[in-house]
Amino acid sequence: MIPPAAFLLLSAVLFSLGVLAFFVKKDLLTQFMAVEVMLNASNLAFLAMAKASGQAAGQVIVLFVITVAAAEAVIGLAIIVLIFRQRRTIRTDELKDLRG
Amino acid sequence: MGFPPPIPPSVLALAPLLALVAGALLVLLLEAFLKRKDGELPAFVAVFALLASAFFTVVSWNVGNSGVYLHGRLLVDNLALLVTGVLVLAGIAVILMSLKYAAHQDMNLGQLCGLLLLAVAGAMIMVSSSDGLVVFLGLEVLSVASYAMSGLKRQDRASSEAAAKYFLMGSFAGAFFVFGLALVFGTSGSLDLTAGLSAGASLSAFPAAGAVGLGLILTALFFKIAVAPFHMWAPDVYEGAPTPVTVFLTIVPKAAGLAVLLRVLLPLLSGETAAAAVFTPALSVAAVLTMFAGNLAALRQKSVKRMLAYSSIAHAGYLLVAIVAGDAPSLVFYLLVYLFMNGGAFAVLVAMSGRGFERASLGDFAGLGRRHPGLAASLSIFLLSLAGFPPTAGFLAKFYVFGAAVREGHILLAVAAVLASLIAVAYYLKIIVVMYMQDAEAAAAFDRDDPALFLVIFLGLLGVLQLGLWPGNALSLIRAAFNAF
Repeated sequence: MIPPAAFLLLSAVLFSLGVLAFFVKKDLLTQFMAVEVMLNASNLAFLAMAKASGQAAGQVIVLFVITVAAAEAVIGLAIIVLIFRQRRTIRTDELKDLRG
Repeated sequence: MGFPPPIPPSVLALAPLLALVAGALLVLLLEAFLKRKDGELPAFVAVFALLASAFFTVVSWNVGNSGVYLHGRLLVDNLALLVTGVLVLAGIAVILMSLKYAAHQDMNLGQLCGLLLLAVAGAMIMVSSSDGLVVFLGLEVLSVASYAMSGLKRQDRASSEAAAKYFLMGSFAGAFFVFGLALVFGTSGSLDLTAGLSAGASLSAFPAAGAVGLGLILTALFFKIAVAPFHMWAPDVYEGAPTPVTVFLTIVPKAAGLAVLLRVLLPLLSGETAAAAVFTPALSVAAVLTMFAGNLAALRQKSVKRMLAYSSIAHAGYLLVAIVAGDAPSLVFYLLVYLFMNGGAFAVLVAMSGRGFERASLGDFAGLGRRHPGLAASLSIFLLSLAGFPPTAGFLAKFYVFGAAVREGHILLAVAAVLASLIAVAYYLKIIVVMYMQDAEAAAAFDRDDPALFLVIFLGLLGVLQLGLWPGNALSLIRAAFNAF
């Protein structure tokens, strides 16, 4: 039996990796994937907590988070396609029309 | 059994939301099946849905429908009802502003209205729950609709850049909220943001993981409100988005986020608890940073739209002062006044745009005082109110917020806030000086035939002057609402 703390640790590591990738990468699609990693790390944390505390609420939340992630993916990919059509690139350092 | 027949309390509690969501679905269907694509019918349906929502909110208020519904998922109290009122007013103003603007800028009005209704519904969900999951879902409904709205000028590079940046930072912040919620849920065993936290108000009884989780949730909310140091995305997004959408983005997510912040932090900050000892200084520093970052950056802007974007960041700082002071009435009053003055100032910017172009640089305002005296005078009043000059509502709003901070013993914070607003005077006055003292080399002529937009400007003026000169009714209403809070 693996203790819940191990899952929690794993989810924290995954979440940090997501944050790191978000800041290191300069590509809309990869950065979006980093956010997805962060969301799924949170899902893992919820499941670990639900298992540890015996509350079903934690498992239900995961379904909601997956749904939200899907909705975000729809809008996000549409925006990325729009950016690509206009600029032929999705690198974030090329997004600099707006400067003060 | 009078007329109208009594509505069951739980239905009445849901009614403002149901009106908006039904309206949104209807608008999107109309948009899909209507033959004439440039018609204004979707906008009228959307305004009707918002008015219906406002009607149910007022009914809810009048019958005293406060309480907890749907097994604790929906919380209706005076804070929720008042902020809902602000949100609905903002929604109506945005739709009225975009009737002509959408046609001129090649935007789809039906899509804008449908997304706007959904976004307002999301913000409403956020403010009327203390359940972490429901707040998260509301936040995401609001955010996803806002990403799409800021990219609605599909041919415009700036608009889609704004959408991409907003989407990236917004979803990043959303992930912080979820992870924070997971930690709070794990340590307190409850999803209720307020109950779980007040139980651990003494930090020693509150496990470290829970404190980290709370910090992550606050970070996500700070992103949404654009509080420094999490405000870097905001100026780009506010500048690139279509102007009516900018009005929406500077008011609605801020109002909803601040209401949630107030709900979560009020039990933590009241009294001499260990949590207050940690959170009060942290929030004060964030407020001071936000005020100065916004105002100092606004000083060197050449574009009025971007200047107003930075000014809205600074105003988030003033609003945060009200949260630190724990004074709900002054927060709500400031939000209401901010809706009128900020909406009005951006409405003048909308009035300066025309078919296929927008005039937002400082030079475009040269000589406006001579060519369009009414427009220039309105903008001057809005700017003076934003700066906080006495006869306007902006002064009173700042006065109550800073006064509350002094009353609660945050003298230094109040002094910093006053200093920051002094800096702000410089750039607000710069626009007024350009309008009245400079002559335009090439007089930019634009014809205006947009009664809905002028109605918005008129109502903004009315709100700014009415709340500035005779604030009694609104103030006593808000105060009375929170006496029982």
